[in-house]
Amino acid sequence: MDHESLFDRRLLVIAGKGGVGKTTIACALGLLAAQLGKRTLLAEVDGAGRAAYLLGIPPAPAGEARALGPSLSVMSVDGSASLAEYLEIILPVKRVVQAVLSSRIYQYFVAAAPGLKELMTVGKIWYEAERTDEGRVRWDLVIFDAPATGHSLQYLRMPRAAHAAFGSGLVGRESKRIVDLLTDPRRTAINLVTTAEEMPVNETVEMYQQVRSDLRMPPGLLFVNRTHHAQFHAEDLAHAEARRGTLHDPRERAIADEVLNRAREELGWTAINGTFLRRLESEIDMPLVQVPFMFTEEFGVNEVRAIAARIAAEITPAARHRLGDGWA
Amino acid sequence: MAGLDDVLRRHRVVICAGSGGVGKTTTAASLAVRGALLGRRTMVLTIDPAKRLANALGMHALGSVSTSIGGDGVPEGMLSAMVLDQKGAWDELVERHAPSPEIRDRILANHFYQHLSQNFAGSQEYMAIEQLCELHASGAYDLIVVDTPPTRHALDFLEAPQRIADFLDRSVVKWFVRPYFSAGWATLRFVNRTVGFLFRRLEDATGISALVEVSDFFTSMSGLFEEFEPRVRRVYQLLRSPDTAFVLVATPEEQVLSEAEYFCRKVHDLDMSLRAVVFNRTHRELSGARRGVKPDEVKRVMQHLVGSAAVAERLADNFSRYETLGRGDGLRMEAFRRLLQKRVAVAEVPNFNADVHSVADLQAMHPFLFSAA
Repeated sequence: MDHESLFDRRLLVIAGKGGVGKTTIACALGLLAAQLGKRTLLAEVDGAGRAAYLLGIPPAPAGEARALGPSLSVMSVDGSASLAEYLEIILPVKRVVQAVLSSRIYQYFVAAAPGLKELMTVGKIWYEAERTDEGRVRWDLVIFDAPATGHSLQYLRMPRAAHAAFGSGLVGRESKRIVDLLTDPRRTAINLVTTAEEMPVNETVEMYQQVRSDLRMPPGLLFVNRTHHAQFHAEDLAHAEARRGTLHDPRERAIADEVLNRAREELGWTAINGTFLRRLESEIDMPLVQVPFMFTEEFGVNEVRAIAARIAAEITPAARHRLGDGWA
Repeated sequence: MAGLDDVLRRHRVVICAGSGGVGKTTTAASLAVRGALLGRRTMVLTIDPAKRLANALGMHALGSVSTSIGGDGVPEGMLSAMVLDQKGAWDELVERHAPSPEIRDRILANHFYQHLSQNFAGSQEYMAIEQLCELHASGAYDLIVVDTPPTRHALDFLEAPQRIADFLDRSVVKWFVRPYFSAGWATLRFVNRTVGFLFRRLEDATGISALVEVSDFFTSMSGLFEEFEPRVRRVYQLLRSPDTAFVLVATPEEQVLSEAEYFCRKVHDLDMSLRAVVFNRTHRELSGARRGVKPDEVKRVMQHLVGSAAVAERLADNFSRYETLGRGDGLRMEAFRRLLQKRVAVAEVPNFNADVHSVADLQAMHPFLFSAA
């Protein structure tokens, strides 16, 4: 795909294994899109307010957008809350909806309708992506921070399954419109996030195949998070080790040992990352964006900003230009 | 403060809990290897669908049946591993209780059943604990190490049995136990008429005939769920037994530790015993006399060793970056330790950048887990 056009989509799905930094990448993309003047909604699923935390704002109740600035809002999307919201639309009397929701049978109904919650979550994302206020689209861009791999496939698969299962009903008809959005390369791109390590790469390759063959969703970018790039070589360390005996002060020897330990760790990560970056390049046909490991005491909003700047430099020279120096 | 060796010697069940992605599976496997080396007949039970434990133990086709693992100094027959196939475990429950093959097949194809056995929050955890109870009762093992499912919140594991019990609450289930189209449903004597009407309306609108399936499921399975309360009581008895120890696994990240803190409080509230905390993938700042070493000194020492000022500078920069990581990790771990009771053992495993592929690799963790190892 064309790098520059990433932010011209309506919906960016961010998917990947748990713990690889999906939310961080989603937040960074949100900041970038907002800087480009796009009215952006970052929708997080089951994230316990993680996105809000990373952007330094308090979390809002499920289903409500909290604005970070004029252009960026964050929302935590929850299946149950979305289902309730949907019921209010299809059962127009408020009192009726309350009676349904407060009934104990309701939870059994939800449990018996396979994937209903997942469907409602994706439905809510679709609703926000298509939403208009007084004839104008509410958001230029919706970034969907999907749950961990296995789950996100379950979510993304639901609309198609629902269309097949409930074809004639209201839910079946609306599912079709969701599938149309998810598979439209002009409006949607699915982006994968991984680290360059064995298990996450295995899952990412699998996910990529499913996205292509099963979901048929248009691919966006592949973000490889936390990559290490040692600025020295194994020979440098070997050389230093060979001369260790020439240090006579025990304190200096101890310092040298620690410096060499850290250097070995960094070389080790660089090698592992290199191996799996090559595997990603050969098995996944998507433009790859490396995001370097952040050496920091505490990971927070400053780190997310630094990552946004880094991504901007890699994917959109034009965007970087418009961002000015504020990012460095 | 007793060490982790004591935890393994004094308990029959060791449950490794923690958020997803902290290295629980590897830690559980490593503890089990140690248990076997201590001369205890050990079983490690994992529920991780990624079958990572199988990889760590160098086995590729680990079924739901226990496999004996030997080699690398572990005596033959002392260490077994089992992967719980939770879907299989539910199906087995149905097999055992269904009155006829026709009803069994109908249940297995039921949407409600499929949700309950696969997607219901806590279902996987519940089945893991049931399996644990059975293994424990069999008496075949001196030590069972449990790797808990990869849930976002470690707490799910503790609450799962109660949640299932609440869900299968008898008073509600009783209401469902009658054919959907029977007089009972038509007149809806057992619930508010309006609510019944609304659900019909909802089913019409969505095209989902969900309640038929619920009713069908409970009618077919009536009897089984009557026994759920005593089963859940038995499960909590084992979790609270003095034979059972919880080991919390956490990485020193802010998000992981805040979940871990909540977990510790909850374990305590539920009268269960947290015996150890394993900090995994940690970095530490230099300590003692070497603390606060100046960049210039580092550079000077390294230049003496490598010759090139440029290379020395890069090595010094790398060192200071890792010191930054270590400072953050150290502060968070110290703050967390202050919350723990004195008798809780604490171990710290540094960040290895090698994948675990064998029993020998698992043993590489031992010097950090067990100070005397």
